Amino acid sequence: MDNFRKIDIDQYDEDVLLESELYEPDPRDPAQVLDDVKQKVTAVRSSLAKGDITGALDLVLDNAPYGPNVDEAKNINLQTLLSILNSTKATEIPGVVKALSTDAQDTLMKYLYKGMAMPGWGDVSGSVLLGWHEKLTEAAGTGCIVRAMTDRRLV
Amino acid sequence: MAPSEIHSLSQTPITAHSFNADRSQVAVSLNSNDVQIFARQGQEWKPTDVLSEHDKLITSIDWAPNTNRIVTSSQDRNAYVWQQTQDPQTGATIWKPTLVLLRINRAATFVRWSPNEDKFAVASGARAIAICSFDPEGDWWVSRLLKKPIRSTVLSLDWHPNNVLLAAGSADMKARVLSAYIKDVDKRPAPTVWGEKLPFNTICGEYTSPTGGWVHAVGFSPSGDVLAFASHDSSITLVYPGQQALYTIKMTSLPLLTLTWTTENSIVAAGHDCQPLVFQGSESGWELSGSLDDPSSNKSAGGARSGFGGAAPVGRLQSAAFNTFRNADSRGLGSATSGAGSGESELFTVHQNTITSVRPYAGAPGNVAQVSTSGVDGKLVIWDTTAVTPATGLGGIAGRLAAMQLK
Repeated sequence: MDNFRKIDIDQYDEDVLLESELYEPDPRDPAQVLDDVKQKVTAVRSSLAKGDITGALDLVLDNAPYGPNVDEAKNINLQTLLSILNSTKATEIPGVVKALSTDAQDTLMKYLYKGMAMPGWGDVSGSVLLGWHEKLTEAAGTGCIVRAMTDRRLV
Repeated sequence: MAPSEIHSLSQTPITAHSFNADRSQVAVSLNSNDVQIFARQGQEWKPTDVLSEHDKLITSIDWAPNTNRIVTSSQDRNAYVWQQTQDPQTGATIWKPTLVLLRINRAATFVRWSPNEDKFAVASGARAIAICSFDPEGDWWVSRLLKKPIRSTVLSLDWHPNNVLLAAGSADMKARVLSAYIKDVDKRPAPTVWGEKLPFNTICGEYTSPTGGWVHAVGFSPSGDVLAFASHDSSITLVYPGQQALYTIKMTSLPLLTLTWTTENSIVAAGHDCQPLVFQGSESGWELSGSLDDPSSNKSAGGARSGFGGAAPVGRLQSAAFNTFRNADSRGLGSATSGAGSGESELFTVHQNTITSVRPYAGAPGNVAQVSTSGVDGKLVIWDTTAVTPATGLGGIAGRLAAMQLK
């Protein structure tokens, strides 16, 4: 009973809008994306060692992997980002988020929501993410949250 | 700055509004199947006529200033053209409807007369735009459909001043410029920055919203050489096809739903933030310059602010609902005792809910002195476009917008 509800009726529609048509694909090759992300890990570590949090965030958020077939790169990038978020003192956060570009702020917001959607994974800590979320919303406004929700280029 | 006129027309949302040529009458749809016409009597608006023919919610109304005809579109997939005639029996003046055969199988979402008022465009959920022109032989309005390459519901339209080009904003996250040239109606248009040869359904431009939001509003500048569109990713984008330039302003506030050009270098746009914002710029760049509303001067209207804690207000985190729950949690107050009357959920803006429509009210195209806005709160407000409360940088307006939501 009700099996007909499971039929994918979209396959009979010639004009169906495909997931891949909703956004511009990443021009880079998946292997290249993974490579880029791995290179960032060391660069981020050296930035953090110097105490340059904004620089480290800029590195991680620039050209963040999105789209299909790059799950490993996405995980590594999230891990790198979490290491930055977790090692930042709460008093430093407002200055750091204000120094980011609008695009970087939007990407950071996407990662915060991604992190909150997977509690218990790796180093995800709800209270750290919420702390960043509060400061980021103060700096970038509700518009930043709206963009994190509408953007189909999921990180 | 305070708006010049505020009229509370109803307790229900106003889905669309359109004034007649001398602004003595206004046609509105109060979230119903009927169009209500109000006539101005001093400072009051008195209901006069009701246009009822649609059998589902009306989505859009446009009143042609020169030919004095009203066109309405509705979720019942129809459009009607209403014309004032003498009733043969009683001799009274009535609005006579003419059905338009749109040939669409989804709701009609938006309708606008062309500048010459000899045709109109109806947007729809059927991934199509119907361009309707009058056929005197058959004595009816015939439609031709613009279909390709629209992939989803068309949410807004705007005509180019040359009566041929049409801008469309759509839920497939794109704004497009298309040709709606009809051989029997239009003379061959002069070349524009959008193209030279413009047969029906020529695509002159296709622009994607910056971070994947539905395109809610589109508008050609008074000269027709610039296109503005606002999308649900809280951004507004300006397109200069001549210079191949594209400017995007990512806002810190909630998305815009409607916009209108006031001069060649300024736009009034409004939406979920309940206040009309002013954007100014030129081919070298654009910025948010301020708001026609001034939430900080309306503080008294909102009654006393809730004064818990000294924490910085963060967006909607300090909302009435948030405080209700916090009181219930920390002080054991029930929701019944925490409410401080109707002022509790009042915003500091003039509009108390989303603004869904902003239209020119006074002044010539390119030099609009006043605009009118209507929205979900049932208010119709008229604003002077010169009375801009400046935004002290983007951070300033972010702070103010956040404060506006604070309660």
